[in-house]
Amino acid sequence: MSQFTALVRVELTEAAKEYKYVWLTIFFVLLGLTQPLINLYMDLILQQMGGSIGVILDPDKPAPTANEVFLSTISGQFNQIGLIILLISFMGLIATDRQNGMQDFILTRPVSIHCYVSAKLIAHWFISMFSLGFGILTSYGCTVYLFGAFPMTKLISFSVLYSLWILYLISLVIVISMYVRHQVLIAISAIGISFLLLVLKNLDPVFSDGFPSSILNVAEHQLVRSSVVSYRSIFSCLLFTFLNLMWASKKLKN
Amino acid sequence: MITIHNLHKTLNKRKILDGIDFSFQENECIGLLGPNGAGKTTLIKCLMGILSYESGEISFQDQPIERYKKQIGYLSQYTDFKPWMTCRESLLFFGKLSGIKKELLEKRISETLKEVGLQDKQDVPVEQLSGGMKQRLGIAQAILHEPQLLILDEPVASLDPIGRNEIRNLIGRLKQRMTILLSTHILHDIREICDRYIIMKNGRIIKHLYREDQTIDLQQVRLQFRNAVSVDQVLNCFPSVTVEKLSPVAFLITGTHAFNLKHVLTACSLKQLDVISVGFHEVGLEDTFLELAADV
Repeated sequence: MSQFTALVRVELTEAAKEYKYVWLTIFFVLLGLTQPLINLYMDLILQQMGGSIGVILDPDKPAPTANEVFLSTISGQFNQIGLIILLISFMGLIATDRQNGMQDFILTRPVSIHCYVSAKLIAHWFISMFSLGFGILTSYGCTVYLFGAFPMTKLISFSVLYSLWILYLISLVIVISMYVRHQVLIAISAIGISFLLLVLKNLDPVFSDGFPSSILNVAEHQLVRSSVVSYRSIFSCLLFTFLNLMWASKKLKN
Repeated sequence: MITIHNLHKTLNKRKILDGIDFSFQENECIGLLGPNGAGKTTLIKCLMGILSYESGEISFQDQPIERYKKQIGYLSQYTDFKPWMTCRESLLFFGKLSGIKKELLEKRISETLKEVGLQDKQDVPVEQLSGGMKQRLGIAQAILHEPQLLILDEPVASLDPIGRNEIRNLIGRLKQRMTILLSTHILHDIREICDRYIIMKNGRIIKHLYREDQTIDLQQVRLQFRNAVSVDQVLNCFPSVTVEKLSPVAFLITGTHAFNLKHVLTACSLKQLDVISVGFHEVGLEDTFLELAADV
Protein backbone atom coordinates (compact mmCIF):
# COMPACT_ATOMS: atom_id res chain seq x y z
CA MET A 1 0.00 0.00 0.00
CA SER A 2 2.83 2.40 0.80
CA GLN A 3 4.25 1.81 -2.68
CA PHE A 4 0.87 2.60 -4.23
CA THR A 5 0.62 5.78 -2.15
CA ALA A 6 4.15 6.82 -3.10
CA LEU A 7 3.40 6.32 -6.80
CA VAL A 8 0.12 8.23 -6.64
CA ARG A 9 1.71 11.05 -4.67
CA VAL A 10 4.48 11.49 -7.25
CA GLU A 11 1.93 11.69 -10.08
CA LEU A 12 -0.11 14.27 -8.19
CA THR A 13 2.96 16.35 -7.34
CA GLU A 14 4.17 16.18 -10.92
CA ALA A 15 0.79 17.46 -12.13
CA ALA A 16 1.12 20.36 -9.69
CA LYS A 17 4.65 21.13 -10.93
CA GLU A 18 3.33 21.18 -14.48
CA TYR A 19 0.47 23.50 -13.41
CA LYS A 20 -1.97 20.91 -14.70
CA TYR A 21 -4.47 21.64 -11.93
CA VAL A 22 -4.42 25.28 -12.98
CA TRP A 23 -4.65 25.20 -16.76
CA LEU A 24 -6.94 22.18 -16.96
CA THR A 25 -9.25 23.69 -14.34
CA ILE A 26 -9.34 27.08 -16.07
CA PHE A 27 -10.12 25.32 -19.32
CA PHE A 28 -13.06 23.36 -17.87
CA VAL A 29 -14.38 26.38 -15.96
CA LEU A 30 -14.45 28.37 -19.20
CA LEU A 31 -16.07 25.46 -20.96
CA GLY A 32 -18.62 25.20 -18.17
CA LEU A 33 -19.50 28.87 -18.56
CA THR A 34 -19.75 28.84 -22.33
CA GLN A 35 -22.72 26.54 -22.90
CA PRO A 36 -25.23 28.19 -20.51
CA LEU A 37 -24.33 31.57 -22.01
CA ILE A 38 -24.72 30.22 -25.54
CA ASN A 39 -28.10 28.77 -24.58
CA LEU A 40 -29.17 32.08 -23.03
CA TYR A 41 -28.18 34.16 -26.01
CA MET A 42 -28.99 31.58 -28.68
CA ASP A 43 -31.91 33.57 -30.10
CA LEU A 44 -29.79 36.68 -30.36
CA ILE A 45 -26.92 34.76 -31.94
CA LEU A 46 -29.23 33.21 -34.52
CA GLN A 47 -30.76 36.58 -35.34
CA GLN A 48 -27.31 38.13 -35.83
CA MET A 49 -26.17 35.16 -37.93
CA GLY A 50 -29.16 35.61 -40.20
CA GLY A 51 -27.77 38.86 -41.66
CA SER A 52 -30.12 41.62 -42.88
CA ILE A 53 -33.03 39.23 -43.45
CA GLY A 54 -32.67 37.67 -40.02
CA VAL A 55 -33.81 34.25 -38.87
CA ILE A 56 -37.41 33.61 -38.09
CA LEU A 57 -37.63 32.00 -34.67
CA ASP A 58 -40.59 30.10 -33.43
CA PRO A 59 -41.99 32.32 -30.68
CA ASP A 60 -43.69 29.29 -29.10
CA LYS A 61 -40.59 27.16 -28.86
CA PRO A 62 -40.19 25.81 -25.32
CA ALA A 63 -37.51 27.41 -23.18
CA PRO A 64 -34.82 24.89 -22.20
CA THR A 65 -34.95 23.69 -18.62
CA ALA A 66 -31.95 24.11 -16.34
CA ASN A 67 -31.05 20.41 -16.39
CA GLU A 68 -31.31 20.33 -20.20
CA VAL A 69 -28.91 23.25 -20.43
CA PHE A 70 -26.55 21.54 -18.00
CA LEU A 71 -26.75 18.32 -20.00
CA SER A 72 -25.95 20.16 -23.21
CA THR A 73 -22.84 21.57 -21.49
CA ILE A 74 -21.63 18.07 -20.71
CA SER A 75 -22.56 16.36 -23.96
CA GLY A 76 -21.85 19.35 -26.14
CA GLN A 77 -18.72 20.85 -24.59
CA PHE A 78 -17.17 18.46 -22.06
CA ASN A 79 -17.66 15.37 -24.20
CA GLN A 80 -16.27 16.97 -27.33
CA ILE A 81 -13.60 19.63 -26.98
CA GLY A 82 -13.21 18.80 -23.27
CA LEU A 83 -12.61 15.16 -24.06
CA ILE A 84 -9.97 15.99 -26.66
CA ILE A 85 -8.03 18.19 -24.26
CA LEU A 86 -8.34 15.66 -21.47
CA LEU A 87 -7.03 12.84 -23.65
CA ILE A 88 -4.17 15.03 -24.86
CA SER A 89 -3.29 15.69 -21.23
CA PHE A 90 -3.14 11.90 -20.63
CA MET A 91 -1.01 11.00 -23.62
CA GLY A 92 2.30 10.93 -21.74
CA LEU A 93 1.11 9.12 -18.66
CA ILE A 94 2.93 5.89 -19.51
CA ALA A 95 4.99 6.92 -22.54
CA THR A 96 7.07 9.47 -20.61
CA ASP A 97 7.98 6.96 -17.92
CA ARG A 98 8.99 4.44 -20.54
CA GLN A 99 11.08 6.91 -22.51
CA ASN A 100 13.04 8.26 -19.57
CA GLY A 101 13.65 4.92 -17.86
CA MET A 102 11.51 5.71 -14.84
CA GLN A 103 9.27 2.73 -15.58
CA ASP A 104 12.22 0.35 -15.34
CA PHE A 105 13.37 1.98 -12.11
CA ILE A 106 9.93 1.48 -10.60
CA LEU A 107 9.22 -2.03 -11.83
CA THR A 108 12.56 -3.39 -10.66
CA ARG A 109 11.49 -2.53 -7.11
CA PRO A 110 9.18 -4.84 -5.22
CA VAL A 111 6.28 -3.06 -6.97
CA SER A 112 3.83 -5.14 -8.98
CA ILE A 113 2.82 -4.10 -12.47
CA HIS A 114 -0.82 -3.96 -11.29
CA CYS A 115 0.18 -1.53 -8.55
CA TYR A 116 2.04 0.68 -11.03
CA VAL A 117 -0.81 0.71 -13.56
CA SER A 118 -3.51 1.23 -10.91
CA ALA A 119 -1.57 4.12 -9.38
CA LYS A 120 -1.44 5.78 -12.80
CA LEU A 121 -5.18 5.27 -13.23
CA ILE A 122 -6.18 6.61 -9.83
CA ALA A 123 -3.80 9.56 -9.87
CA HIS A 124 -4.89 10.76 -13.29
CA TRP A 125 -8.52 10.15 -12.45
CA PHE A 126 -8.09 12.40 -9.43
CA ILE A 127 -6.36 15.09 -11.47
CA SER A 128 -9.09 14.99 -14.13
CA MET A 129 -11.92 14.98 -11.65
CA PHE A 130 -10.37 17.89 -9.78
CA SER A 131 -10.45 20.05 -12.92
CA LEU A 132 -13.71 18.61 -14.24
CA GLY A 133 -15.27 19.08 -10.82
CA PHE A 134 -14.64 22.81 -10.93
CA GLY A 135 -15.95 22.93 -14.48
CA ILE A 136 -19.09 21.03 -13.56
CA LEU A 137 -19.71 23.19 -10.48
CA THR A 138 -19.19 26.37 -12.49
CA SER A 139 -21.57 25.16 -15.14
CA TYR A 140 -24.11 24.14 -12.50
CA GLY A 141 -23.87 27.52 -10.78
CA CYS A 142 -24.19 29.41 -14.03
CA THR A 143 -27.10 27.26 -15.22
CA VAL A 144 -28.97 27.63 -11.93
CA TYR A 145 -28.37 31.40 -11.97
CA LEU A 146 -29.57 31.84 -15.55
CA PHE A 147 -32.16 29.10 -16.00
CA GLY A 148 -33.38 28.19 -12.54
CA ALA A 149 -32.57 25.50 -10.01
CA PHE A 150 -32.44 21.76 -10.32
CA PRO A 151 -31.64 19.35 -7.46
CA MET A 152 -28.05 19.02 -6.34
CA THR A 153 -28.61 15.26 -5.90
CA LYS A 154 -29.08 14.97 -9.66
CA LEU A 155 -25.78 16.76 -10.18
CA ILE A 156 -23.99 14.46 -7.73
CA SER A 157 -25.37 11.23 -9.19
CA PHE A 158 -24.58 12.49 -12.67
CA SER A 159 -21.01 13.45 -11.67
CA VAL A 160 -20.32 10.09 -10.03
CA LEU A 161 -21.40 8.22 -13.16
CA TYR A 162 -19.56 10.63 -15.43
CA SER A 163 -16.39 10.10 -13.40
CA LEU A 164 -16.58 6.37 -14.18
CA TRP A 165 -16.53 7.22 -17.88
CA ILE A 166 -13.37 9.28 -17.27
CA LEU A 167 -11.89 6.33 -15.36
CA TYR A 168 -12.53 4.14 -18.39
CA LEU A 169 -10.92 6.68 -20.72
CA ILE A 170 -7.75 6.74 -18.63
CA SER A 171 -7.59 2.95 -18.69
CA LEU A 172 -8.01 3.13 -22.47
CA VAL A 173 -5.04 5.51 -22.78
CA ILE A 174 -3.00 3.14 -20.59
CA VAL A 175 -3.74 0.21 -22.90
CA ILE A 176 -2.98 2.21 -26.03
CA SER A 177 0.29 3.39 -24.45
CA MET A 178 1.41 -0.24 -24.20
CA TYR A 179 1.27 -0.59 -27.97
CA VAL A 180 1.96 2.89 -29.29
CA ARG A 181 5.15 4.70 -28.35
CA HIS A 182 4.60 8.11 -29.89
CA GLN A 183 2.60 10.39 -27.62
CA VAL A 184 0.73 12.18 -30.40
CA LEU A 185 -0.36 8.86 -31.87
CA ILE A 186 -1.51 7.75 -28.42
CA ALA A 187 -3.70 10.85 -28.16
CA ILE A 188 -5.06 10.49 -31.70
CA SER A 189 -5.89 6.80 -31.17
CA ALA A 190 -7.57 7.49 -27.84
CA ILE A 191 -9.60 10.38 -29.28
CA GLY A 192 -10.66 8.24 -32.25
CA ILE A 193 -11.77 5.30 -30.11
CA SER A 194 -13.55 7.55 -27.60
CA PHE A 195 -15.55 9.34 -30.28
CA LEU A 196 -16.43 6.03 -31.88
CA LEU A 197 -17.69 4.81 -28.50
CA LEU A 198 -19.74 8.00 -28.12
CA VAL A 199 -21.41 7.30 -31.44
CA LEU A 200 -21.98 3.63 -30.61
CA LYS A 201 -23.72 4.43 -27.32
CA ASN A 202 -26.64 5.83 -29.28
CA LEU A 203 -27.35 2.56 -31.07
CA ASP A 204 -30.13 0.20 -30.04
CA PRO A 205 -29.94 -0.14 -26.21
CA VAL A 206 -29.95 -3.94 -26.42
CA PHE A 207 -26.75 -3.72 -28.40
CA SER A 208 -25.14 -0.59 -26.99
CA ASP A 209 -25.43 -1.53 -23.31
CA GLY A 210 -22.26 -3.54 -23.79
CA PHE A 211 -20.21 -0.47 -24.63
CA PRO A 212 -18.45 1.36 -21.79
CA SER A 213 -19.70 4.68 -23.18
CA SER A 214 -23.31 3.66 -22.55
CA ILE A 215 -22.73 4.65 -18.91
CA LEU A 216 -23.21 8.19 -20.23
CA ASN A 217 -26.82 7.29 -21.10
CA VAL A 218 -27.35 6.39 -17.44
CA ALA A 219 -25.59 9.57 -16.33
CA GLU A 220 -27.72 11.68 -18.65
CA HIS A 221 -30.81 9.88 -17.37
CA GLN A 222 -30.10 11.37 -13.94
CA LEU A 223 -30.59 14.84 -15.43
CA VAL A 224 -33.20 14.30 -18.10
CA ARG A 225 -35.36 11.22 -17.70
CA SER A 226 -35.36 9.04 -20.78
CA SER A 227 -37.63 6.10 -21.39
CA VAL A 228 -35.07 3.34 -21.82
CA VAL A 229 -31.94 3.10 -19.74
CA SER A 230 -30.08 0.08 -18.52
CA TYR A 231 -28.07 0.13 -15.33
CA ARG A 232 -26.06 -2.80 -16.70
CA SER A 233 -24.01 -0.11 -18.45
CA ILE A 234 -22.39 0.79 -15.12
CA PHE A 235 -21.19 -2.76 -14.73
CA SER A 236 -20.09 -2.81 -18.37
CA CYS A 237 -18.00 0.36 -17.94
CA LEU A 238 -16.34 -0.93 -14.78
CA LEU A 239 -15.70 -4.30 -16.38
CA PHE A 240 -14.04 -2.73 -19.43
CA THR A 241 -11.90 -0.54 -17.18
CA PHE A 242 -10.79 -3.59 -15.22
CA LEU A 243 -10.10 -5.56 -18.42
CA ASN A 244 -8.07 -2.68 -19.82
CA LEU A 245 -5.93 -2.69 -16.70
CA MET A 246 -5.39 -6.45 -16.91
CA TRP A 247 -4.58 -6.20 -20.59
CA ALA A 248 -2.11 -3.36 -20.01
CA SER A 249 -0.42 -5.24 -17.16
CA LYS A 250 -0.05 -8.36 -19.27
CA LYS A 251 1.34 -6.42 -22.20
CA LEU A 252 3.80 -4.58 -19.97
CA LYS A 253 5.11 -7.89 -18.67
CA ASN A 254 5.67 -9.18 -22.22
CA MET B 1 24.36 -17.08 -6.57
CA ILE B 2 22.33 -16.62 -9.78
CA THR B 3 21.73 -19.32 -12.35
CA ILE B 4 20.15 -18.76 -15.73
CA HIS B 5 19.22 -21.93 -17.51
CA ASN B 6 18.13 -22.32 -21.14
CA LEU B 7 16.35 -18.96 -21.36
CA HIS B 8 14.27 -18.30 -24.46
CA LYS B 9 12.44 -15.11 -25.34
CA THR B 10 10.70 -14.25 -28.61
CA LEU B 11 9.33 -10.87 -29.57
CA ASN B 12 7.34 -10.31 -32.77
CA LYS B 13 8.41 -13.77 -34.02
CA ARG B 14 12.09 -12.82 -33.59
CA LYS B 15 14.24 -14.74 -31.14
CA ILE B 16 15.65 -12.19 -28.74
CA LEU B 17 17.14 -14.72 -26.34
CA ASP B 18 18.04 -18.12 -27.65
CA GLY B 19 19.00 -20.62 -24.96
CA ILE B 20 20.93 -18.42 -22.55
CA ASP B 21 22.86 -20.39 -19.93
CA PHE B 22 25.18 -18.95 -17.34
CA SER B 23 25.67 -18.47 -13.65
CA PHE B 24 27.60 -16.15 -11.44
CA GLN B 25 28.99 -16.33 -7.96
CA GLU B 26 28.99 -13.94 -5.05
CA ASN B 27 31.21 -10.87 -5.38
CA GLU B 28 31.97 -11.52 -9.01
CA CYS B 29 31.96 -8.61 -11.41
CA ILE B 30 30.75 -9.70 -14.80
CA GLY B 31 30.74 -7.74 -18.01
CA LEU B 32 27.89 -8.54 -20.38
CA LEU B 33 29.13 -7.54 -23.80
CA GLY B 34 27.65 -7.47 -27.23
CA PRO B 35 26.82 -5.22 -30.11
CA ASN B 36 23.59 -3.21 -30.06
CA GLY B 37 20.64 -5.56 -30.46
CA ALA B 38 22.50 -8.57 -29.06
CA GLY B 39 19.83 -9.12 -26.38
CA LYS B 40 21.70 -7.73 -23.37
CA THR B 41 18.96 -5.41 -22.16
CA THR B 42 16.27 -8.05 -22.73
CA LEU B 43 18.30 -10.56 -20.72
CA ILE B 44 18.66 -8.04 -17.92
CA LYS B 45 14.95 -7.22 -17.97
CA CYS B 46 14.12 -10.93 -17.74
CA LEU B 47 16.58 -11.21 -14.90
CA MET B 48 14.91 -8.29 -13.15
CA GLY B 49 11.44 -9.76 -13.67
CA ILE B 50 10.29 -6.81 -15.81
CA LEU B 51 9.90 -9.01 -18.87
CA SER B 52 8.49 -12.49 -19.11
CA TYR B 53 10.16 -15.30 -21.07
CA GLU B 54 8.78 -18.33 -22.88
CA SER B 55 10.96 -21.00 -21.36
CA GLY B 56 13.94 -21.45 -19.13
CA GLU B 57 14.68 -20.68 -15.53
CA ILE B 58 16.27 -17.93 -13.52
CA SER B 59 17.04 -18.70 -9.92
CA PHE B 60 18.62 -16.70 -7.12
CA GLN B 61 20.26 -18.90 -4.51
CA ASP B 62 18.26 -21.84 -5.89
CA GLN B 63 14.92 -20.03 -5.46
CA PRO B 64 12.79 -18.31 -8.15
CA ILE B 65 14.23 -14.84 -8.65
CA GLU B 66 10.85 -13.06 -8.25
CA ARG B 67 11.12 -13.59 -4.49
CA TYR B 68 14.44 -11.77 -4.35
CA LYS B 69 13.68 -8.48 -6.06
CA LYS B 70 14.71 -6.69 -2.88
CA GLN B 71 18.20 -8.16 -3.22
CA ILE B 72 18.75 -6.65 -6.65
CA GLY B 73 19.67 -3.09 -7.54
CA TYR B 74 19.27 -1.89 -11.10
CA LEU B 75 20.40 1.05 -13.16
CA SER B 76 18.64 1.22 -16.50
CA GLN B 77 20.12 2.26 -19.81
CA TYR B 78 18.23 5.54 -19.88
CA THR B 79 18.61 7.25 -16.55
CA ASP B 80 16.31 10.16 -16.07
CA PHE B 81 14.63 11.04 -12.84
CA LYS B 82 11.73 13.35 -12.29
CA PRO B 83 13.54 16.61 -13.08
CA TRP B 84 11.75 18.61 -10.41
CA MET B 85 12.73 16.24 -7.58
CA THR B 86 15.85 16.92 -5.56
CA CYS B 87 18.42 14.14 -5.15
CA ARG B 88 17.10 13.47 -1.66
CA GLU B 89 13.46 13.38 -2.79
CA SER B 90 14.36 10.98 -5.60
CA LEU B 91 16.00 8.58 -3.19
CA LEU B 92 13.12 8.99 -0.73
CA PHE B 93 10.72 7.95 -3.49
CA PHE B 94 12.76 4.92 -4.52
CA GLY B 95 13.36 4.00 -0.90
CA LYS B 96 9.62 3.90 -0.30
CA LEU B 97 9.12 1.78 -3.39
CA SER B 98 11.81 -0.58 -2.11
CA GLY B 99 9.94 -0.90 1.16
CA ILE B 100 12.69 0.56 3.34
CA LYS B 101 11.35 1.51 6.76
CA LYS B 102 10.92 5.25 7.29
CA GLU B 103 13.29 5.48 10.26
CA LEU B 104 16.04 3.69 8.35
CA LEU B 105 15.46 5.46 5.05
CA GLU B 106 16.78 8.92 6.05
CA LYS B 107 20.00 7.34 7.34
CA ARG B 108 20.43 5.25 4.19
CA ILE B 109 19.87 8.28 1.95
CA SER B 110 22.64 10.24 3.67
CA GLU B 111 25.02 7.28 3.55
CA THR B 112 24.30 6.54 -0.10
CA LEU B 113 24.62 10.13 -1.25
CA LYS B 114 27.97 10.28 0.53
CA GLU B 115 29.07 7.05 -1.08
CA VAL B 116 28.35 8.33 -4.60
CA GLY B 117 29.81 11.75 -3.81
CA LEU B 118 26.58 13.72 -4.00
CA GLN B 119 26.25 14.69 -0.34
CA ASP B 120 26.54 18.38 -1.27
CA LYS B 121 23.84 18.06 -3.90
CA GLN B 122 21.09 16.48 -1.83
CA ASP B 123 18.78 19.50 -2.11
CA VAL B 124 19.63 20.25 -5.72
CA PRO B 125 16.90 19.43 -8.29
CA VAL B 126 17.88 16.63 -10.65
CA GLU B 127 17.48 18.92 -13.68
CA GLN B 128 20.50 20.90 -12.46
CA LEU B 129 22.84 17.89 -12.27
CA SER B 130 25.43 17.02 -14.90
CA GLY B 131 25.23 13.75 -16.84
CA GLY B 132 27.84 12.11 -14.60
CA MET B 133 26.04 13.25 -11.45
CA LYS B 134 22.72 11.90 -12.74
CA GLN B 135 24.38 8.58 -13.41
CA ARG B 136 25.84 8.58 -9.89
CA LEU B 137 22.37 9.31 -8.56
CA GLY B 138 21.17 6.39 -10.69
CA ILE B 139 23.68 4.15 -8.97
CA ALA B 140 22.63 5.63 -5.62
CA GLN B 141 19.00 4.57 -6.18
CA ALA B 142 20.26 1.12 -7.19
CA ILE B 143 22.32 0.59 -4.02
CA LEU B 144 20.01 2.42 -1.61
CA HIS B 145 18.46 -0.80 -0.33
CA GLU B 146 21.85 -2.56 0.00
CA PRO B 147 21.27 -5.18 -2.68
CA GLN B 148 23.42 -8.26 -3.03
CA LEU B 149 23.38 -8.01 -6.79
CA LEU B 150 23.83 -4.78 -8.74
CA ILE B 151 22.87 -4.73 -12.41
CA LEU B 152 24.07 -1.81 -14.49
CA ASP B 153 22.85 -1.45 -18.06
CA GLU B 154 25.21 0.68 -20.17
CA PRO B 155 26.22 2.85 -17.21
CA VAL B 156 28.81 4.93 -19.05
CA ALA B 157 27.56 4.96 -22.63
CA SER B 158 26.18 8.49 -22.61
CA LEU B 159 28.90 10.15 -20.54
CA ASP B 160 31.92 12.28 -21.34
CA PRO B 161 35.42 11.02 -20.36
CA ILE B 162 35.27 12.68 -16.92
CA GLY B 163 31.85 11.20 -16.20
CA ARG B 164 33.03 7.78 -17.36
CA ASN B 165 35.99 7.92 -15.05
CA GLU B 166 33.80 8.88 -12.07
CA ILE B 167 31.47 5.96 -12.71
CA ARG B 168 34.32 3.49 -13.28
CA ASN B 169 35.86 4.47 -9.95
CA LEU B 170 32.51 4.17 -8.19
CA ILE B 171 31.86 0.71 -9.64
CA GLY B 172 35.37 -0.29 -8.66
CA ARG B 173 34.56 0.60 -5.04
CA LEU B 174 31.17 -1.13 -5.08
CA LYS B 175 32.54 -4.41 -6.40
CA GLN B 176 34.31 -4.89 -3.07
CA ARG B 177 31.01 -5.67 -1.42
CA MET B 178 28.46 -6.73 -4.02
CA THR B 179 28.07 -8.86 -7.11
CA ILE B 180 27.91 -6.73 -10.23
CA LEU B 181 26.56 -7.50 -13.69
CA LEU B 182 27.54 -4.76 -16.05
CA SER B 183 26.19 -4.56 -19.58
CA THR B 184 27.91 -2.54 -22.26
CA HIS B 185 28.85 -2.47 -25.89
CA ILE B 186 32.03 -0.51 -25.14
CA LEU B 187 34.59 -2.95 -23.76
CA HIS B 188 37.18 -0.28 -23.13
CA ASP B 189 35.11 1.18 -20.31
CA ILE B 190 34.91 -1.95 -18.24
CA ARG B 191 37.98 -4.02 -18.96
CA GLU B 192 39.73 -2.94 -15.80
CA ILE B 193 36.68 -3.54 -13.63
CA CYS B 194 35.29 -6.96 -14.54
CA ASP B 195 36.59 -10.37 -13.57
CA ARG B 196 34.76 -12.14 -16.34
CA TYR B 197 33.07 -11.27 -19.62
CA ILE B 198 30.14 -12.81 -21.38
CA ILE B 199 29.89 -11.98 -25.05
CA MET B 200 26.44 -12.05 -26.64
CA LYS B 201 25.34 -11.86 -30.21
CA ASN B 202 21.94 -12.44 -31.79
CA GLY B 203 20.44 -13.56 -28.49
CA ARG B 204 23.11 -16.14 -27.75
CA ILE B 205 26.17 -16.29 -25.56
CA ILE B 206 29.03 -16.83 -27.94
CA LYS B 207 31.99 -16.69 -25.58
CA HIS B 208 33.00 -16.54 -21.92
CA LEU B 209 36.24 -14.68 -21.34
CA TYR B 210 38.32 -13.98 -18.26
CA ARG B 211 40.45 -10.99 -17.55
CA GLU B 212 43.50 -13.24 -17.74
CA ASP B 213 42.60 -14.13 -21.31
CA GLN B 214 44.59 -11.18 -22.63
CA THR B 215 47.35 -12.86 -24.59
CA ILE B 216 50.44 -12.02 -26.61
CA ASP B 217 50.44 -12.92 -30.28
CA LEU B 218 53.93 -14.17 -31.14
CA GLN B 219 53.20 -13.87 -34.85
CA GLN B 220 52.65 -10.13 -34.68
CA VAL B 221 55.25 -7.51 -33.83
CA ARG B 222 54.84 -3.79 -33.33
CA LEU B 223 57.76 -1.73 -34.53
CA GLN B 224 58.46 1.93 -34.01
CA PHE B 225 61.23 3.76 -35.88
CA ARG B 226 62.99 7.00 -35.01
CA ASN B 227 62.22 8.47 -38.44
CA ALA B 228 59.43 7.99 -40.96
CA VAL B 229 59.87 4.93 -43.17
CA SER B 230 57.85 3.45 -46.01
CA VAL B 231 56.05 0.11 -46.15
CA ASP B 232 58.50 -1.00 -48.87
CA GLN B 233 61.47 -0.34 -46.60
CA VAL B 234 59.89 -2.53 -43.91
CA LEU B 235 59.09 -5.24 -46.46
CA ASN B 236 62.75 -5.16 -47.52
CA CYS B 237 63.65 -6.27 -44.01
CA PHE B 238 60.93 -8.93 -43.78
CA PRO B 239 60.03 -10.19 -47.27
CA SER B 240 57.46 -12.82 -46.25
CA VAL B 241 55.28 -10.79 -43.85
CA THR B 242 52.31 -8.53 -44.19
CA VAL B 243 52.83 -4.98 -43.05
CA GLU B 244 50.25 -2.66 -41.62
CA LYS B 245 51.17 1.01 -41.34
CA LEU B 246 49.91 2.40 -38.03
CA SER B 247 51.61 5.80 -38.40
CA PRO B 248 54.56 7.16 -40.42
CA VAL B 249 56.93 5.70 -37.81
CA ALA B 250 54.92 2.72 -36.45
CA PHE B 251 54.11 -0.60 -38.14
CA LEU B 252 52.50 -3.89 -37.29
CA ILE B 253 54.08 -6.87 -39.03
CA THR B 254 52.35 -10.22 -39.18
CA GLY B 255 54.19 -13.40 -40.06
CA THR B 256 53.25 -17.03 -40.50
CA HIS B 257 55.51 -18.21 -37.65
CA ALA B 258 56.49 -16.83 -34.27
CA PHE B 259 58.96 -13.96 -34.46
CA ASN B 260 62.25 -13.78 -32.62
CA LEU B 261 62.62 -10.16 -31.51
CA LYS B 262 66.43 -10.33 -31.68
CA HIS B 263 66.21 -11.34 -35.36
CA VAL B 264 63.73 -8.54 -36.00
CA LEU B 265 66.14 -5.96 -34.63
CA THR B 266 69.05 -7.42 -36.59
CA ALA B 267 67.06 -7.36 -39.86
CA CYS B 268 66.18 -3.69 -39.32
CA SER B 269 69.70 -2.70 -38.43
CA LEU B 270 71.05 -4.43 -41.60
CA LYS B 271 68.77 -2.16 -43.65
CA GLN B 272 69.87 0.82 -41.52
CA LEU B 273 66.43 1.41 -40.01
CA ASP B 274 66.66 2.98 -36.54
CA VAL B 275 64.27 1.08 -34.26
CA ILE B 276 63.28 2.78 -31.03
CA SER B 277 60.67 0.28 -29.83
CA VAL B 278 59.81 -3.33 -30.59
CA GLY B 279 57.37 -5.75 -28.96
CA PHE B 280 54.87 -8.51 -29.53
CA HIS B 281 51.34 -7.43 -30.25
CA GLU B 282 48.98 -7.90 -27.28
CA VAL B 283 45.71 -9.51 -28.20
CA GLY B 284 43.34 -7.95 -25.74
CA LEU B 285 39.73 -8.62 -24.93
CA GLU B 286 38.77 -5.86 -27.28
CA ASP B 287 40.28 -7.68 -30.25
CA THR B 288 38.65 -10.95 -29.27
CA PHE B 289 35.33 -9.20 -28.74
CA LEU B 290 35.46 -7.39 -32.06
CA GLU B 291 36.46 -10.57 -33.87
CA LEU B 292 33.68 -12.62 -32.28
CA ALA B 293 31.05 -9.96 -32.65
CA ALA B 294 31.89 -9.53 -36.31
CA ASP B 295 32.26 -13.13 -37.44
CA VAL B 296 29.88 -15.34 -35.59
